Amino acid sequence: MIRYLIKNNFKLMLRNKWIIAALIVGPVIVIMVLSSAFQGLMASYEGMDEFKAGYRIEEGSIMKGSILAVKEAGREAGIILTEYPDGEPEELMENNELAGFVKFEKDAYTVYESADYVTEGMMLEYFINRCMSEGIDMALQTAGVLVQAGNAGQKDIELPYQKLDYMPAIDSVDYYGIIEIVYFIWMSVVFAAGVLTEEKKNGIERRFWVAAVSDFKLYMSKWIPIVLATIIGIGEAILVTVLLFGIHWGNILLSAAVLLLLIMASAAFGLMLYYILKNLAVTVVALFISVWFMGFFGGSFETYMFSNIPDVMKNASPIYHVNRALVEYSCMGHSAYTKSSVLYLLAIIFVCTFVAVLAEGLRKRGKV
Amino acid sequence: MSDIILRTKDLTKKYQNKVVVDSLKLEIREGEIFGLLGPNGAGKSTTMNMVCSIVRPTAGTIELMGKNLWKSKKEIIHRIGYIPQDLAIHGNLKAWENVELFTSLYGIKGAELKKVVEESLRYVGLWEKKDELAKNFSGGMKRRLNIACAIGHHPDLLIFDEPMVGIDPQSRNFMLEKIKESNQNGATVIYTSHYMEEVEAICTRIAIMDNGKVIACGTSKELKETVASGNENITLEEVFLILTGKKLRD
Repeated sequence: MIRYLIKNNFKLMLRNKWIIAALIVGPVIVIMVLSSAFQGLMASYEGMDEFKAGYRIEEGSIMKGSILAVKEAGREAGIILTEYPDGEPEELMENNELAGFVKFEKDAYTVYESADYVTEGMMLEYFINRCMSEGIDMALQTAGVLVQAGNAGQKDIELPYQKLDYMPAIDSVDYYGIIEIVYFIWMSVVFAAGVLTEEKKNGIERRFWVAAVSDFKLYMSKWIPIVLATIIGIGEAILVTVLLFGIHWGNILLSAAVLLLLIMASAAFGLMLYYILKNLAVTVVALFISVWFMGFFGGSFETYMFSNIPDVMKNASPIYHVNRALVEYSCMGHSAYTKSSVLYLLAIIFVCTFVAVLAEGLRKRGKV
Repeated sequence: MSDIILRTKDLTKKYQNKVVVDSLKLEIREGEIFGLLGPNGAGKSTTMNMVCSIVRPTAGTIELMGKNLWKSKKEIIHRIGYIPQDLAIHGNLKAWENVELFTSLYGIKGAELKKVVEESLRYVGLWEKKDELAKNFSGGMKRRLNIACAIGHHPDLLIFDEPMVGIDPQSRNFMLEKIKESNQNGATVIYTSHYMEEVEAICTRIAIMDNGKVIACGTSKELKETVASGNENITLEEVFLILTGKKLRD
């Protein structure tokens, strides 16, 4: 029975030419506008080859054994780090045209930024913060192993990395090309606008109730066609943006897998909102607001440049994990965020499906 | 005497404090065309919605084909065909796709479904228009398609909830003939309407509802005799107005 429902709902979605067109043309326009605007804004950043910064390691610093790896990662990122054992950081920066200076103390570090090289100074701070957090994570893992093995001692731990996996800068067209596709995918429930509106307006739901079709089957008869229609619609949008702007997705297979899960999760999330609110316009507004918040607190509007959203908040946002995974596939071909994004998306699919079916059942019971 | 196909006992529906259907007792026999009349707000549609299991009663029971509707819903629901007052069809689906969609809900599939879709569309005279989108149909054609979507699974009980709203006399006449034909083919019909002449033309028995209760029930002749014994010229509409009053309803 459900196969005919799926088939006809799918036909209804594909016959809604305006929505299909909007979901193909929408990302193209937004990507064009955003990438062009940010290309201009970031021109000074992108034009730089490399810059100089100084450092000093004080006695007993945990960085002592790891500084070579940090310097190598800095070189890859265009930051030439030179050691200055003596002198005041401010004077050293002024006399040696340094963009910044890092003082590694025993269990702390300080980043000085030159007023003459603001952008470079912020880049240095971002780079050092990232090196330290990655190094500390690795040190903690090592310490955990030592504790389990009963070898934990009182001696100072060194940051254990041999080579830092520093993420290269991503092109603004690629970055916005990817994250705007992600945002448009979250609106996938709009593909079902025609079906949902007619079912409500024409009282079609009553036919389903008389025929005793289960709430789960009715949910699936919409969820599956939304997923299929989104694959087609967004697939075309991706193709157009790749052809027009040359967006580079890097690891195609992993990107496709994460995008597919994202489509499934967004369809479930959108349907859940609709089943709770039972009003398409309100659903779209609620969806837009939730995605905006997930995006804002997930750092989508700042990861390309500099970070100011706390990591705890970012980690709570599924959009952060998906964006990071896809952007890293694009510039590195792999990502440490694959597992977390897959887990987040699977959780959304299952939880939203359960809540949607439950909400529909309760609503029907309340109404009748 | 024929078997009872539908029996309601003390059927009641309350919305907050408002009683819409009040301890309704109704018996409909197999093979009848049973007309349900009543002014706006009399409780006709709520009664039909309860019989179709769209609305759950506040109290009372509904027996369909000898079984409790809510206890044996899955077992007996496929024996009901419900033609709603709304045009419950998808405008962006073709005529055959609409019939296929709604008939498939009753578990009919494959070659049988194709056959049934053709039968249903031929039955309502829309086979030649099977490939046209429903949104391009006239009001009468949409009403006929609305019926085709509810009869494919060959139900024993057909429930028409004001099916003739806003259609021309030709389409109305065609559909009344089809309802009589369905009845002759073995289906019991429950028919609610505001049009007295069509109810009188096809129904074997008629119940008049007001304020959630049946206030009169019988053949057209019996109803007329109850109200105006000996007056052969009285119309069903006059009987209706005498029984329910001339006061305007919300």
